Amino acid sequence: MKKKLIAALTAGAMAAMSLGMGASAEVQDVSLTVWGAEEDQAMLQEMINSFEEQYGEYANFTIQLGVESESTAKDTILTDIQAAADVFAFASDQLPDLVKAGALQSLDELDPAIQNYAGKSLDDIKNANVSGSVEAATYDGTMYAFPMSADNGFFLFYDSSVLSEEDVASWDSLLAAAEAAGKKVGMTLSSGWYNASFFYGAGFTTGLNDDGTTSIDWNGTSADGYTGVQVVQSMLGITGHGSFLSVADGDISNQIASGDLCAAVSGTWDATAAQKAFGDGYAATKLPTFTLNGEQVQQGSVAGFKLIGVNAYSQNAGWAALLAEWLTNEENQAIRFEQREIGPSNIAVSESSEVSENLAIAALAEQSAYGVVQSVGTNYWDPTATFGEMIAQGQLSADDEAGIQEALDTMVAGVTAPVE
Amino acid sequence: MSKVMTGIGGFFRSIGCFFRDFGEAVAKGDVFVKLSLVWMGAGYFKRKQYIKALLMTLFEVLILYYTFAFAMDYVPKFGTLGTVQQESVFNMETMQNEFNDYDHSFLILLFSLFSFVVWAIGIVVWLRNIIHVYELQKRAEKNLHINTFREDIAEYKNHKFHITLLTLPVLGILFFTVIPLLVLILVAFTNYDQQHMPPSALFTWTGLTNFKNLFGMGGMTITFGYAFGRILIWTLVWAFFATLTTYIGGILLSLLINSKKTKLPKMWRTLFVVTIAVPQFVSLLLVRNFFADNGIVNTICANIGLTGWLRDVGLIRTSYIPFLSAPGWAHVMIILINIWVGVPYQMLIATGVLMNIPSEQLESARIDGATPAQVFRHITMPYMLFVTGPALVTDFVKNINNFNVIYLLTESVFTTTNQALANSQAKEVDLLVTWLFRLTQDNYNYKMASAIGIMVFIICAIFTLFTFNKMIKGDREEAFR
Repeated sequence: MKKKLIAALTAGAMAAMSLGMGASAEVQDVSLTVWGAEEDQAMLQEMINSFEEQYGEYANFTIQLGVESESTAKDTILTDIQAAADVFAFASDQLPDLVKAGALQSLDELDPAIQNYAGKSLDDIKNANVSGSVEAATYDGTMYAFPMSADNGFFLFYDSSVLSEEDVASWDSLLAAAEAAGKKVGMTLSSGWYNASFFYGAGFTTGLNDDGTTSIDWNGTSADGYTGVQVVQSMLGITGHGSFLSVADGDISNQIASGDLCAAVSGTWDATAAQKAFGDGYAATKLPTFTLNGEQVQQGSVAGFKLIGVNAYSQNAGWAALLAEWLTNEENQAIRFEQREIGPSNIAVSESSEVSENLAIAALAEQSAYGVVQSVGTNYWDPTATFGEMIAQGQLSADDEAGIQEALDTMVAGVTAPVE
Repeated sequence: MSKVMTGIGGFFRSIGCFFRDFGEAVAKGDVFVKLSLVWMGAGYFKRKQYIKALLMTLFEVLILYYTFAFAMDYVPKFGTLGTVQQESVFNMETMQNEFNDYDHSFLILLFSLFSFVVWAIGIVVWLRNIIHVYELQKRAEKNLHINTFREDIAEYKNHKFHITLLTLPVLGILFFTVIPLLVLILVAFTNYDQQHMPPSALFTWTGLTNFKNLFGMGGMTITFGYAFGRILIWTLVWAFFATLTTYIGGILLSLLINSKKTKLPKMWRTLFVVTIAVPQFVSLLLVRNFFADNGIVNTICANIGLTGWLRDVGLIRTSYIPFLSAPGWAHVMIILINIWVGVPYQMLIATGVLMNIPSEQLESARIDGATPAQVFRHITMPYMLFVTGPALVTDFVKNINNFNVIYLLTESVFTTTNQALANSQAKEVDLLVTWLFRLTQDNYNYKMASAIGIMVFIICAIFTLFTFNKMIKGDREEAFR
């Protein structure tokens, strides 16, 4: 029993140590694993087949496909980086954590390999994709992943049989029209992903420092000259309106389906739900403007992307990078849109007529002009969610400027707390 | 308490005896016994127990091989948990990354600990071995029979059968429970978190820093100690009420069902047992949706005007009843929902116990003119408490760690509006375990999670030790009769 255990452990340790030290051979046998979303599996398999065809002359590929949702990739990978897939898809907000854990291979380092085999340089790839997606895939000046899609952002779905295009231009007119129709407008506030949109619109910023702490200036004055207190007052004006419905994080599709809403702030993942609920009236557009200190200010948003990265501990980092590049190239982004209506980050694909005719993706593209790549640490989420919930529940009063300032200061203290 | 002390005393006495035997064996043993200090098979070899000699030699060689071929790669680094940071260079020729010979802090921690356990076993076997060969020497001097290997084996089937039976379970506990537990405890004294995650980064010892942070003595967030206190209080309140309500509820329910006046008792019992058959997380998630801010219960309450009335009297400020999304409301709802989930189990246990109440006691009470309430108070309840007391303690500890109910009912529904708690990633409804879970799962704060885990362990251990000691006493049954 004991001896067997020792033997097993020794073998396990040796296997662990030999990871990443595979010997090189003349004719390479390259085995890779890929993780992608469950609904994309069939499509990914096709792409892998075409990759094997394309590069078959250089190596014998054995490529395995596994299921891992882009939204949970980080958690699974960081559990055991060395056991994670060579190539994986993930949402762009996970990139800083993955980089800091050393899970992502720097692509700058692999540029010569990509040039050699794929016939394009990293700069070509950067130029082919929208700048926001490249920014989201870059950390500290180094590119760590290939942009796969630009659909991870939010905008406004609305029922055009209830609301006109003028109505959805600003929150004031939107809520007034909703009230007249006896319907509600839904948005999630108890999440730092959604509620940051008001602050970003007013010119506030967030950032990630090298030591893992988050920087945030919401308790001060923004570059555009607004104060955090003013933004909170505007938000309270919206949430205090009888036609505004604050929706719990992740519950928005249920609310859209309930039929009580005539408009909702959400993303492409709810397009089907919205289409069903609004029927012929289904429409989508950029987020409305909101009244800030007496002026109309465009609400910002978080520009999110899906990326494909290469495991830094991959045994075949070079070929993994080429596979990742293949899965995200122009043709495959076009296939992705065709089969799954996933908004492309590739400029050429997004300019095609099919893509621009898709209401949700067009609205997202329209909003992306005001989108911010949100780069924050783990301490960001809980304090900002709580802050949004306080506003949603009306725990702050618009008249009590000192109270708002104090709440903002507390939130900022929590977000910027050292991660030790 | 005194029994515990005697137990501990006895334990140390037997250790003392063991070493005295060893000293005697070394001092008085012949040359082969002394040689056994170096070559473990020597003593057996001399007494012609060749197979045993071979086995002991093999054991020694394996321990030595393990030590030099494997353990020495890790144990010397145990003090620092590694110093060589991982680095890699991409090789264009092979299309592969080339890594340096880097240290992996977690593996160092794990394998060092494993080695310590292996060595501890080795030392115990080595000590026993000396004592044993000395006994053989004494037998040989007295010209007594010395067992052959076959006879030795036969002994393990007869009067040493307990050893044969227990070896596997003990080894299992050692490797699958004790070692992981020790790793967890050690992590609490390191800075293993998101900034220090192997294999790409190293972590190291930080002494008692994490515990200082936990009790609010500076460090990361000022509110961590505050959050710990708040959560600890709620954990204990929850465990108390959750245990009490389901226990009382289960007894009352089973009394009701077992009552002679109840029609179709089997049907009722089956109906309640069905709630056990449905996986807990399914029912809990459904209930969570029922009571969500915009869920079905809220819609009904709004339609019948309850929501409006509550707002008029000032109990709520929101346009919905925050069943699971505001502290206070959520606390009560969680305990209520838990009654519904937990009562059927207690009902089954209570049914079993109630059926065993001596019927002559009930009979004589009735003849003496006791009311049902008196019977319940003076016969049923004391009997129940006597029989299910230990189970009650276990239930309490289980509820301290009741992850399912709390997490499934509140995750992604409950957002705290207490900024001090939020700054420490905590919520009012968190138990220590759910807080611990989110610290590890969402924030990779393994070191703090370990520290909290140790605290949970200490709380549970102390509580269990005291209550069991009070409850399980030999004369209890007599006292009850």
